[in-house]
Amino acid sequence: MKNITFRLAWRNLWRRKRRTWLTVGAMVFSNILLVFMISLQIGMYGMMINNTLRAQTGHLQVQAPGYNDDHKMRQVVPDVQGLANTLREGLATDEVAARASAFALVSSADRSYGLQITGVEPEFEARVSSLPGLIKDGRFFSNAAAEEIIIGRVLARNLQVEVGDELTFIGSGRDGSFAAAVVTVVGIFESGMPDLDRSFAEVPLGFFQDVFAMDGAGHAVAVMAPGLIQVGQIRTQTEALLPEGSDLVVHDWDALLPGLKQAIQADFTSAWFMYGILIVLVAFSVLNTQLMSVLERTKEFGIVMSLGVTPGRLGRLVLLETALMGTVGLVLGVLLGGALVMWLGYHGFSYPGMEEMAGKFNLPSRIYPQVSFIGLLFGPMIILISSVIASFYPAIRLRWLEPVAAMRAA
Amino acid sequence: MGSLRIIFRLAWRNLWRNHRRTLIMLAAIVIGVWAMIFMTALMRGMVDDMVRDGVSVLPGHVQIHHPDFRDDPTISNLIEPPDGELLEVLNRPEVVAWATRVRVPAVISSERDTRGVTLVGIEPDRERGISFVADDLAEGRFLESRDDRGLIVGRKLVEKLETGLGKRVVIMSQDPENEIADRGFRIVGIFDSKLAQYEEGYVFGGEGAIQDLLGVGDAISEVAILGTDYRDVEGLHQMVADAAGPDVEVLPWNELDTYLGSMLAVMDGFVVVWIVVVFLALSFGLINTLVMAVFERVREIGLMLALGMTPRNILSQILVESILLLVIGLAIGNLAAWAAIEPLKDGIDVSIVGEGMEYFGAASVLYPALYLKDVVLANVIVIVLGFFASLSPAWRASRYDPVRAITKV
Amino acid sequence: MKSVHCIDLCKTYRQGEVEVTGLDHVNLEIEEGGFVCLSAPSGGGKTTLLNAIGGLDTPDSGEIWLAGNRVDNLSKGDLAKMRLHQIGFVFQAYNLIPVLTARENVEFVMEVQGVPAADRRTRALEILDEVGLAGLEDRRPAQMSGGQQQRVAVARAIASRPALVLADEPTANLDSQSADQLMELFVELNRNHGTTFVIATHDQRVMGYARRVIRMLDGQIVGDEQKEAA
Repeated sequence: MKNITFRLAWRNLWRRKRRTWLTVGAMVFSNILLVFMISLQIGMYGMMINNTLRAQTGHLQVQAPGYNDDHKMRQVVPDVQGLANTLREGLATDEVAARASAFALVSSADRSYGLQITGVEPEFEARVSSLPGLIKDGRFFSNAAAEEIIIGRVLARNLQVEVGDELTFIGSGRDGSFAAAVVTVVGIFESGMPDLDRSFAEVPLGFFQDVFAMDGAGHAVAVMAPGLIQVGQIRTQTEALLPEGSDLVVHDWDALLPGLKQAIQADFTSAWFMYGILIVLVAFSVLNTQLMSVLERTKEFGIVMSLGVTPGRLGRLVLLETALMGTVGLVLGVLLGGALVMWLGYHGFSYPGMEEMAGKFNLPSRIYPQVSFIGLLFGPMIILISSVIASFYPAIRLRWLEPVAAMRAA
Repeated sequence: MGSLRIIFRLAWRNLWRNHRRTLIMLAAIVIGVWAMIFMTALMRGMVDDMVRDGVSVLPGHVQIHHPDFRDDPTISNLIEPPDGELLEVLNRPEVVAWATRVRVPAVISSERDTRGVTLVGIEPDRERGISFVADDLAEGRFLESRDDRGLIVGRKLVEKLETGLGKRVVIMSQDPENEIADRGFRIVGIFDSKLAQYEEGYVFGGEGAIQDLLGVGDAISEVAILGTDYRDVEGLHQMVADAAGPDVEVLPWNELDTYLGSMLAVMDGFVVVWIVVVFLALSFGLINTLVMAVFERVREIGLMLALGMTPRNILSQILVESILLLVIGLAIGNLAAWAAIEPLKDGIDVSIVGEGMEYFGAASVLYPALYLKDVVLANVIVIVLGFFASLSPAWRASRYDPVRAITKV
Repeated sequence: MKSVHCIDLCKTYRQGEVEVTGLDHVNLEIEEGGFVCLSAPSGGGKTTLLNAIGGLDTPDSGEIWLAGNRVDNLSKGDLAKMRLHQIGFVFQAYNLIPVLTARENVEFVMEVQGVPAADRRTRALEILDEVGLAGLEDRRPAQMSGGQQQRVAVARAIASRPALVLADEPTANLDSQSADQLMELFVELNRNHGTTFVIATHDQRVMGYARRVIRMLDGQIVGDEQKEAA
């Protein structure tokens, strides 16, 4: 390194090895914690969102206005399969599925239960929802008009039916008429979410439309975007593809599942409150160290100033020293923290009480965090920056340093 | 005694020799302690409310029901009302309140819409002491007797059904022969609940009227029992289970809802982890401060050793200095935390993420809860771990060779 | 042209509770290429005068002219620039940055002065050679004798070939042999480059090397002897 100032800053750090290592230690400790926690959070949030969206709503849904709040049979999307096809062509993807829902009373030989029945497109539903893939007994639907039904494991147990048994259901059609049918259970799914497993059932869409007198309409077209980041863009495109003059609306997952985004925000905010405390404590540590380091060198600074070095330049030297220290803390923190995340990514991470939480939030009971750019660097970068900011005080204090007085210092 | 006073005076003066460094370290300790206590109080408050609200919606602290009822909460799994020994136990003072209920899945229809709900037949006067319904009644009246033919419905459900107070609705459910039993009911009361899913999913009627509708005689679904403290239900649980006999299942609330049940324990663990993490972050600065203080006084320490002070004296001096610093920081930090919590006693409004809080099962207003045990834990950990952290620099100081120390440049 | 021209300088400062007169109506002229000693007992005002001339301290009243330019009314920033490029300082002790080698100490000042990196190294080596430290350039101050350290300080002071070098008791911490060597170096630099030297000291032997000795007492000039070089 040709630059003398750089060499000077670096060597100044190691004049008091133990002090520097203790300060760096505080940074590394916090960095490891931040890398671990942030990577974990990213993993958890991503999974929560993906699992929930895949199981329930998809990234976007086209619906009639008001349906999201009221869920009334008559709030329909006309020609729902036609619209689904249009969207598939327009968005150049087959992760689009039409649906219709109704409430019905389902009865087996001995039991009856009220639950929500959803009509789905057999060829496309699996592209949007994880449910068809969670069928443990039997199979998914064969065609759109089949008189078949799939139900959850808990419901199957409560109704005391297995694959091959028959169920009857009754409800109200779109026009208020009496809707009833007999269906055969062809598949039983296990989603891990008790609510779904207990009170949710699917039938083929064509069959649904017949039974409930939908006249080709449905209640929603669900769309999956390639990733969370593309949701906004896909939404705009979808809105553009809607038929002229229709009053259909496009909801993104935040509107469909308002709790989810806010739950993540709440968790995120409380976590950052805690990270903030750590960052502040590290900053105080750095402040103390650098202040002491500057005070010790008062005489030396005085002499250097008499040579014509300005207080500003000395201040920059102090900031450079802090930045170098912070970089050491960052590198070590990223390495050790990253190693921890990788190790956990292999072995999985769990804490007591997590299993009970898992079911509630669509999370597996063991998490395998992944190494990511943001997860590795975000926390340590903030510690580095806040450390440099903390050393502004000692650096700025140098402005008032008078060479003569400084040289007289003890 | 006199030497203790001298040690304290020395320690105090030594602390302030470099007042900037001491003040900065003190500020860090204050912030750390404040954060320990404040954050803990917030989280405790949230979890306590969550558990309390969750428990209040569940059937009491201990529940008696048919062994198959949890899997299949329907009309097929009913039990006999309590009598004999069980009845005697239920009337003991450890049981604050108890009530029987009939709970079945049902369908409610208004003119405009149909929904699936859980129909709960209650004994109004007993139920008052146990569940939330009577307290959260917003309009109309509560049920007057077991045979009251009125219905209490949640506000959100009333809105979705587009019906209202005084209007008629039809309740359909399954009877023991798997036939549909249905009857008209009038809505006599509307309730609000902190948790929306209860407003939408639960409908309450008179137990007798419901038993009538379903044709089950005096059979019930469950007995809900309230004890004195939801945090300590083992004794109550054991007592009731012994008296209830082998034909039924008796469960405490934390086994009924394992999520809630584990919350308290998880919270205890979290508090300890948080306090320790904050302390560790502080400890680097604390050790550094002591190391710097000792280093500055090398000559002086050497002089004292040469003049006859024992190494143990030096050790205690440094330790006292450190503990003094910690104690001052703790005092101010505790005060600051209390000062921050007091004005927030009326709750922090987090309704901006209200629906998110519901996802976790928490309300949209946070009430901090300051527990003595948490405050004690924080203080004890800081002092004890702080003491151990200070041992190293103090020990090294006491081990200085007097001659080398004095001549150190 | 006068290298240094002081007109009626006055300065008082506080030492604890007492007000001390540093400079009391001091008038002084030094020609270019001069080799001057300021002599006074401790507290006599020589350091105060030196600091004033070097722009380290501003007088309460009076004027200071260096090489025809007025400097007592310059801003702090301009004074620093002046010290950087036009004046060299050598102090009694603690001159050098302990974590830098001899060469780096010299290069540091050059870097601040803005000398391009490519030239710094060679010029630093040249200068160290000139003060007689060839071969020692990679040693740190702690690895050198007092005399060697002071020579590095001199090398650093003349790095930009300033017209004026101010030295405040440069030999006070040295043994007599090193002191002689240092003074001979000063004389050589003064002869070869025409650098003006103003040295504050109360060491008689140092005064022996000077062509002009100015005596001070309680902030006033009480004696001014010109003599032929020894």
